[in-house]
Amino acid sequence: MLNPSRRPRWVRSTLAGYAFLAPSLVLLGLFVFLPLGWAFVISLKQTNGFGDGAFVGLANYGRLLTDPVFWRVTLNTALFTIIVVPVSMALGLGLAMLMNSVLPVRALFRTIIVLPMVISGVATALIGVLIYDQNNGIANKLLRVIGLEGIPWQSSGPGAFASVVLVTLWWRIGFNMIIYLAALQGVSPELYESARIEGANGRQQLRYITWPMVGPSTFFLLIMNVIHSFQVFDVIFVLTQGGPGNSTSVLVTYAYTNGFLIRDQGYATAIGIFLLVITLVFTAIQWRVSRTRDLVE
Amino acid sequence: MSRGRYYGLRVAVAVACSLILAFPLYWMIVVAFSPRQELLTTDLRLWPQHFTLANFDRILASFPIPTWFGNSVAIAVVVTALTVSVNLLAGYAFAHLRFRGSSVVFLVLLSTLMLPLQVIMVSEFQLITALGIYGTYWAVILPTAASAFGMFLARQFILGIPREIIEAARVDGAGSLRVFLQIVLPLCKPLIAVLTLLTLLSTWNDFAWPLIALKQNELFTLPIGLLYLQGQFGSDYGATMAFALLSVLPMVMLFVAFQRYFVQGFARSGIR
Amino acid sequence: MQISRRQVLGAVGAFSLGAVLTSCAGFVRPASTPATGELTFTTWGSDSELVGFRKAIAGFESANPGAKITLNVVPYQQIYPTVDAQLQSNTAPDIFRVDYRNFGRYAGSKQLLNLEPLLDASVGASFTDALWRAVQFDGKPYGVPHHTDTTAILYNKAAFAAAGITSVPTTLETAWTWDEFEKVALTLQRKLPVGKYPFAYNWQGQGAARWLNWLFQADGRFLDKKLRSPAIDSEAGRAAIDFTKSFFTRKLVPANNSVKSSTYASDLFFSETVAMTFAGAFLIPDAAKLANFEWGATFSPRDKRGGGDLGGNALVATAGTTKKTLAAKFLAYMVGQKTMRDFCATSSLLPTRKDLVAKGIEFTVRPELSKIFVGQASTVRAADTAQVASPAMGAITTVLSDQLEQAFIGGQSTKDTLAGMTAGITQALSR
Repeated sequence: MLNPSRRPRWVRSTLAGYAFLAPSLVLLGLFVFLPLGWAFVISLKQTNGFGDGAFVGLANYGRLLTDPVFWRVTLNTALFTIIVVPVSMALGLGLAMLMNSVLPVRALFRTIIVLPMVISGVATALIGVLIYDQNNGIANKLLRVIGLEGIPWQSSGPGAFASVVLVTLWWRIGFNMIIYLAALQGVSPELYESARIEGANGRQQLRYITWPMVGPSTFFLLIMNVIHSFQVFDVIFVLTQGGPGNSTSVLVTYAYTNGFLIRDQGYATAIGIFLLVITLVFTAIQWRVSRTRDLVE
Repeated sequence: MSRGRYYGLRVAVAVACSLILAFPLYWMIVVAFSPRQELLTTDLRLWPQHFTLANFDRILASFPIPTWFGNSVAIAVVVTALTVSVNLLAGYAFAHLRFRGSSVVFLVLLSTLMLPLQVIMVSEFQLITALGIYGTYWAVILPTAASAFGMFLARQFILGIPREIIEAARVDGAGSLRVFLQIVLPLCKPLIAVLTLLTLLSTWNDFAWPLIALKQNELFTLPIGLLYLQGQFGSDYGATMAFALLSVLPMVMLFVAFQRYFVQGFARSGIR
Repeated sequence: MQISRRQVLGAVGAFSLGAVLTSCAGFVRPASTPATGELTFTTWGSDSELVGFRKAIAGFESANPGAKITLNVVPYQQIYPTVDAQLQSNTAPDIFRVDYRNFGRYAGSKQLLNLEPLLDASVGASFTDALWRAVQFDGKPYGVPHHTDTTAILYNKAAFAAAGITSVPTTLETAWTWDEFEKVALTLQRKLPVGKYPFAYNWQGQGAARWLNWLFQADGRFLDKKLRSPAIDSEAGRAAIDFTKSFFTRKLVPANNSVKSSTYASDLFFSETVAMTFAGAFLIPDAAKLANFEWGATFSPRDKRGGGDLGGNALVATAGTTKKTLAAKFLAYMVGQKTMRDFCATSSLLPTRKDLVAKGIEFTVRPELSKIFVGQASTVRAADTAQVASPAMGAITTVLSDQLEQAFIGGQSTKDTLAGMTAGITQALSR
């Protein structure tokens, strides 16, 4: 064997590099990449609970195209994402700007805004169950007190969808605020000072200073929020169980139902792979569009 | 320092937002400490009328909550220790070691951030079944610990350590491992704090995967126990809220204690 | 804490029974294998059912020194996912609890232990015919009928009094007809305050098949006599869907009382949102604890005839168990006369043994209500249970659940609902 010190420098550093990476590579290889590869195999099988199932080629993918419930849950997922992501980011940025300004007991305000983020999805959803109980919940009691009709949070599709969105926003705003706040704190106050001297109004400052300065955070948040929204599960599983009908079912809850309740695991995996593909497509587009690439550089 | 413009308006908005955001937690606490009947009245009562601990007595008598609590702690601690150390090593390698394929491997590993467990839950389930660990702690711990999120943060942070410090150590003849342990690691304390906090938090709150991977009541984590309690006690909101409160308390306390660190850590770990 | 108590009980029992057994050792046949070892038992249960299970297990453990039953209680909504995952991963429990509707799915896919060679030939004769048939597959027993249950009505006495309804049917023969039931509901609706509703139906969760009660009451079937094709597209099917759909269109039930609602009917009753609820007897102990008002019970309505669902559960052993003898012995113990009587009385459930049915059961909580549920159970006909025991019943329940949800809150017409059910059942039968 060669004396290590006589090996070329790049061999040594490569060995060292992979030695440091080995634990990660083992963990991720075994518990992420292996199941990912295996998922493609399962998605080619028809299974009905027990046993290995039979290979059916692309039949599960074909079934996706003709399954109205699948289209419904895809639409729900998209709708959920389109509503939750921009609203939670806008509110997050607004609150971050507020928290970055001079306020009394600012630390207390900030703590309150961020606190929901440490509550588990199940507990969050259960609080939602409590508040949006159609008959005895505090939300409808409040609405009735101010003379409005209670909203059918549980029995109407839009009502249930709204409850899921509201609960998720409550849960997610803190995360968006904290990231934006960190970005804003990195912006030198002199920038605003000089802008003000040059006569820029509030909107112009937002447009030409704040927004560009928080650009990388926006990029990061957009990706994180979209991925999170594509994969929403806990809140829906506990709050509405996808109902009424399928009006709040999303891709992940539908995959769970197929994989672990109906136990058509081949079909469930095909849904998972569809989710993966749209996630990758979204990320690729986002990567292209954004000129900010400092995540990798 | 001046208070700036619209001071009054800003304070009003901050107060309003805080009230709205705090209300659900406030309401959870009120319900947890109120007798059952109180919720069932049709009129609106925003304040607790009678204080009671009966809800807590009821759930503690009916469910093995200390056991579930212990399970949550054990799983969260092991996952955190595992994933933080593994990701620090990897982050260091990507930040300061030059080796063939490093950027390709980094991108490949980074791409797993787009691929969380939910997408591959069925094959992950079949994997842990094949490994013979279905229904054990490891079935939860290993797939949960296999996350590249910390690696990405670690690389960003370690890149911020001046190269000169590391080069100086190298000139003194220190190997990569010694540089990592003696130079880099001590400088990474804020990073480790952030990673630990984030991982503890996400593992403590994890629901979908433990739901799939666990089968035994004695091994349930708190979120699964919470679902169980909801199925068992249904409309008994006092009981569910009492348990929900107990289950979120550790993370709330951790957060309140380390909040500054948490926010600063985010800023310093490169997400600008 | 509970485990340690059980261990203590077991140890005490082992001591005293050990002494008894030694003294009559001469009667134990040498050929019989000793009933020792550990069995795992996965179940769900209400508080009082769990008390009943623990008591029965302690009894078995003290009667069989060296035997240990490890109870694993999982959330009700997770029972089948958990059992299925355990079967798939070869970590199945030795024993699990399964309702009669899902029994066929497991027996049909060869997941259960054939008990015929393990049980005394006479065991079958001790159960009522309908229930012994409910645990048969291909003519062989794959489980024991542990208890049954059916749906009757619980009502809020104050709400009824306020609406001027002073009496409810007290015999099966005078049970409300559909028309009378509807009149009662409309009377309640007029008198109840805003936000309160006449009644709620218990078809949530795994309960979609309880809708079939209406079909049976209209003297309909959902499978033909050979159990091979759907028979729901009939006059009776139409009547049942029309009538149950009208609960929603006329606001006789809260809008969130549909099939897939996350709020159970009983919770609407306990929270006084509804004046009566359809409920199984198993809810009586819960109601005694959770309802802060006076309540009583009466029979389900009847149309062409009375009808109820085959509620309740069987206990089964898994095909892969390595302790077949012990498992069979445990199952036989669980359906022994004394064990069953105690369990049913504690948990407010109906027995499956002929001798107990003949003697009647007396619930520990609200014993006077026993006769309502026992009477209601007599309206369950063998022809009804034969359909429900179909191996496709699991899949059919999903079809019913989807179609009813569409009909109740999705505005789907009765015609389309019948067509959808027919298509779905056909598909379920072909799987």
